[in-house]
Amino acid sequence: MAKLVGRHRTPRPLHPLFVGLGGALLMAALFTDSMYFSNALMQWANFSAWLITGGLVLALIGALVLVLDYMLGRAGPISWPDFGLLALAATLSIVNVFIHTRDGWTSVVPSGITVSALVTILLLIAGLRGWCVTGVKAPARGDNA
Amino acid sequence: MTMKRLRTASSLIVVAMLAGCNDKGGDPSKQYGSNPDIPESHQYVIPPMSVPQAVGWKEGETPTVPGGLRIQAMANGLMHPRVVYPLSNGDILVVESNGPGTKPFRPKDYISGLIKARGGSADKGGNRITLLRDADGDGVPESKTVLVDHLHSPYGVAVVADTLYVANTDAIIAYPFKPGQTEIKEPGTKLTDLPAGPINHHWTKSMVASPDGSKLYVGVGSNSNVAENGLDIEEDRAAIFEVDRLTGAKRLYATGIRNPTNLALQPGTGQLFAVVNGRDENGPDADPDYLSLIKEGGFYGWPYSYWGQHVDDRVQPQKPDMVAKAIKPDYGLSSHVAALGLAFSQGQTVSPQFTTGAFVGEHGSWNRDPLNGYQVIFVPFADGRPNGAPIPVVTDFLAQDKKTVRGRPVGVALDRTGSLIVADDVGNTVWRVSGAAATH
Repeated sequence: MAKLVGRHRTPRPLHPLFVGLGGALLMAALFTDSMYFSNALMQWANFSAWLITGGLVLALIGALVLVLDYMLGRAGPISWPDFGLLALAATLSIVNVFIHTRDGWTSVVPSGITVSALVTILLLIAGLRGWCVTGVKAPARGDNA
Repeated sequence: MTMKRLRTASSLIVVAMLAGCNDKGGDPSKQYGSNPDIPESHQYVIPPMSVPQAVGWKEGETPTVPGGLRIQAMANGLMHPRVVYPLSNGDILVVESNGPGTKPFRPKDYISGLIKARGGSADKGGNRITLLRDADGDGVPESKTVLVDHLHSPYGVAVVADTLYVANTDAIIAYPFKPGQTEIKEPGTKLTDLPAGPINHHWTKSMVASPDGSKLYVGVGSNSNVAENGLDIEEDRAAIFEVDRLTGAKRLYATGIRNPTNLALQPGTGQLFAVVNGRDENGPDADPDYLSLIKEGGFYGWPYSYWGQHVDDRVQPQKPDMVAKAIKPDYGLSSHVAALGLAFSQGQTVSPQFTTGAFVGEHGSWNRDPLNGYQVIFVPFADGRPNGAPIPVVTDFLAQDKKTVRGRPVGVALDRTGSLIVADDVGNTVWRVSGAAATH
């Protein structure tokens, strides 16, 4: 009656999808900020404000899904360096979304685009490390018994 | 450990950056007059905001007026009254209106709309003009009728040569109208278009007729706070137009005037004056609203600079040649008061201390803590120019605790008896301030 559990059936966390999507939007804001820096057309700064807002919404969803990952037992132990990188990027982006509510040039130059660049560096590192805040859950001993 | 330190550091950054929003506004009296104190502009992560909750007037409550004067409600239950226009026969036209609404551009627009709505700024306007008939001049109208309905965010009005001109947000409409009439049945005809969409950020179109009635001056506000919607949609905005009353031909009379919320002619000289609202999110004391003579062909700085040559860093590309041309206004009213009403004293006013000068209705601030405005003031004039400290005339629109607001003054005017008429768009009331002699 023993159920066969293959090694490829190890549950994987779901949160990296949302972390990666949100990270992509936040990094795109550096591009739109730099377009505004070069041509001063307001629509680029408007894009930045929307991209950072969207990135933060996805970050929130990512955080909720992380909790879900634990509740469903899909996640291994937390990886503090990854968690720290992403938490810092999210915190800076909250500041950045407020900077981007300013009107005109100072919504981007100099502080907005600087924070966008810092966030992009943090996210590039987090992305290269796999957008994952937790280890993959190792199959418990005895599962295959 | 490292991560903990990182997290501590990041929360410190947030605290440090948010700390800027605790800036308190200074003493408004430093910004009255021809040489106001202009602080450096300040950019915030979260700008200072304070919006009292609109609650309306309870039965029997009124604003406060100085001793010897009397205040009474002429009409209430109106729909966002903005402008009052007394006629020579004693009738008073009340323009009930609010903006047509704007489409959001940025996430911020959703939030700021909600914040301002708390102060009663989002209530639906009547889009009509109501006529109050007070034939015996006791301040108690014998009748209240809808003179003209189904307007499009009207604001300025003028009656010249048996014609009622209404400045809707997108056009001036002319209606045949003889004083004495209480209802207009004929449809209006369009005299000329006015700059409106897209966006139409500052929607009010203030209007006054020239002394000989041949021209109409129309104030058109900017399409943004400080050009953050792009300069291409600012064409013909932040300006005062001169419109030929018979042909509708128009030309720019003066420019660079961010939001000329009301216009009035100085008695005697016939010169054009305006109250103008300064920019937001530039600090609690930057920059002052003003009352000024408007020079023909004059450029007053917006968006490049304020109060003469104070450059606004938020505008890019900057234009030093335009900054150099910017005229300094006559008289600072202090910052964020939202001066919306302007009426010159005509001599026979409620009190001898108001013989020479102008009344200004201050709708009140949102972008400043402590609050500023929320009153009607009198600005004394000397040698034809505003001069001296303003005198509060109608006060206590704010409740004592400053957390709630019962009404907010907008348009002001003097009726044929010299009584001061005040439109209150949050209290939905028209107030009348009379002198002891005018009371019965």
